[in-house]
Amino acid sequence: MAAKSSGIGLPARACLFVIFAAGLAHATGARAAGDRAYGEYLSSECVTCHLLGGRFAGIPPIIGWPEETFVAVMNEYRLKVRPNPVMQTLAGRLSDEEIAALAAYFGSLAAEPAAK
Amino acid sequence: MTIDRRQWLTGAGAFAFAGLAKPALAQAKPRVIVIGGGPGGATAAKYIAKDSNGAIEVTLVEPQRQFTTCFHSNLFLGGFRDWNSITHSYDKLASSYGIRLVPEAAAAIDRDKKIVRLANGSDMAYDRLVIALGIDLRFDSVPGYSEAASDTMPHAWKAGPQTQLLKKQLDALSDGALIVMVAPPNPYRCPPGPYERVSMMAHVLKAKGHRNSKIVVLDPKDTLSKQGLFQEGWEKHYPGMVEWQDPKMHGGIKGVDPSAMTVKTDLETYKANLANVIPAQMAGKVARDAGLANQTGWCPIDPASMRSANDPNIYVVGDACIPGDMPKSAFSANSQAKVAAMAIRGELSASRTFPARYTNTCWSLIETGDTVKVGGSYEPKDGKIAAVSTFVSQKGEAPELRRQTQEENMGWYAGITADIFG
Repeated sequence: MAAKSSGIGLPARACLFVIFAAGLAHATGARAAGDRAYGEYLSSECVTCHLLGGRFAGIPPIIGWPEETFVAVMNEYRLKVRPNPVMQTLAGRLSDEEIAALAAYFGSLAAEPAAK
Repeated sequence: MTIDRRQWLTGAGAFAFAGLAKPALAQAKPRVIVIGGGPGGATAAKYIAKDSNGAIEVTLVEPQRQFTTCFHSNLFLGGFRDWNSITHSYDKLASSYGIRLVPEAAAAIDRDKKIVRLANGSDMAYDRLVIALGIDLRFDSVPGYSEAASDTMPHAWKAGPQTQLLKKQLDALSDGALIVMVAPPNPYRCPPGPYERVSMMAHVLKAKGHRNSKIVVLDPKDTLSKQGLFQEGWEKHYPGMVEWQDPKMHGGIKGVDPSAMTVKTDLETYKANLANVIPAQMAGKVARDAGLANQTGWCPIDPASMRSANDPNIYVVGDACIPGDMPKSAFSANSQAKVAAMAIRGELSASRTFPARYTNTCWSLIETGDTVKVGGSYEPKDGKIAAVSTFVSQKGEAPELRRQTQEENMGWYAGITADIFG
């Protein structure tokens, strides 16, 4: 299923999700003020599936998101509100600090130019 | 292949390099050698080189100039992928990360001198060594089977000519054919792999309109990975075509006769049109000869770092190691390699290290748009890599979810191969 880009570079599904999850990040107290270097280390677990260049090849790209969005989405998985067992398992053992670190790292990355 | 030959060390060049870099001399850079360019080895090489920003000299010893992945080779068998799409070059590891590529096989390890001897007789010195040798096949675990017999009865458990041979044999079958698979005993590479392969073979027969062909799976195990899911899928998509037998059903696998194309059990002798024999497995020979394996044939490791239990300067990742609760899979190897890379960087460059964490997911395609998965997260506990939480697809899932899982499977392949090979 092709994810259409929105104005801020998020897949359409993710944008809908941001609205849905916006209050959740606040409710769980997770704040996006992460340690980018720690996030880069933790990201090695994510990039086994998610392409760092931002291309969609069956698994959604996760770079360049606003940090609050990233935190909200991960909290959704952690609370098993969002239904993917791979992500639920991975998010389930991440602390608030670790999620914030990942948000800082992935949020700092820009998509590679599309292939010519 | 478009490898810049200057980036490859020839045998003579490797020798000169090792000769200049005697352990007794002060080193400009610590040296890491990685043996094996599969998912574990290539990942370890890349992450050590990338994250040390050139502070560590990384050499990858791998005789093949390009690598065909075992994962998704079943999809090649089923016609869902072409050969090129599962074959990858090492070019970017050299050009983007400065990894030295040595296109030679490792022949031996001198652990006391910290030297790797190559098949061409030259030596290379290391400060830390990563072993990612994958598996060797125990051909003699099935009476009558041998490496020579695999020309007739392919195992196809290492992606390459064996896989292409099996595909050729499969595509040549006429209706009414009998396929016999001899499945391997635990532990082995890719637990769901034999059964995904059965699914892909059934897919090919069904797509060709076969009504009378059969696939008999003779298993030395009492259960199989994702058993309920596979058996549900076989009944749904290929009714009457697949017959899986555990030891209670066949009474024991007595042996094969490649010249007669027969597979004999305690109860019956099957005359096969295609026999796929997947024997028992063990860690690669160089690791075993170096004393890194225990009596099981596999290499014990420290679960917090992937360091060999037998040598503080050597790390073992991927199929060759004893991975605790993790399966032997490319995903596991990739995950383990990142832990080893972090530990090695920490030792050699005093960079930050973090607690080890491991992940695995295995996707299996049963029929077009019908994919299932199993996976988990893991961490060091009680002396092994222990499962923290696991998940598996459920029987009776909606077709749309199974289709999404297949999309995820293809996405994972794109992701992990980009992660491994740059």
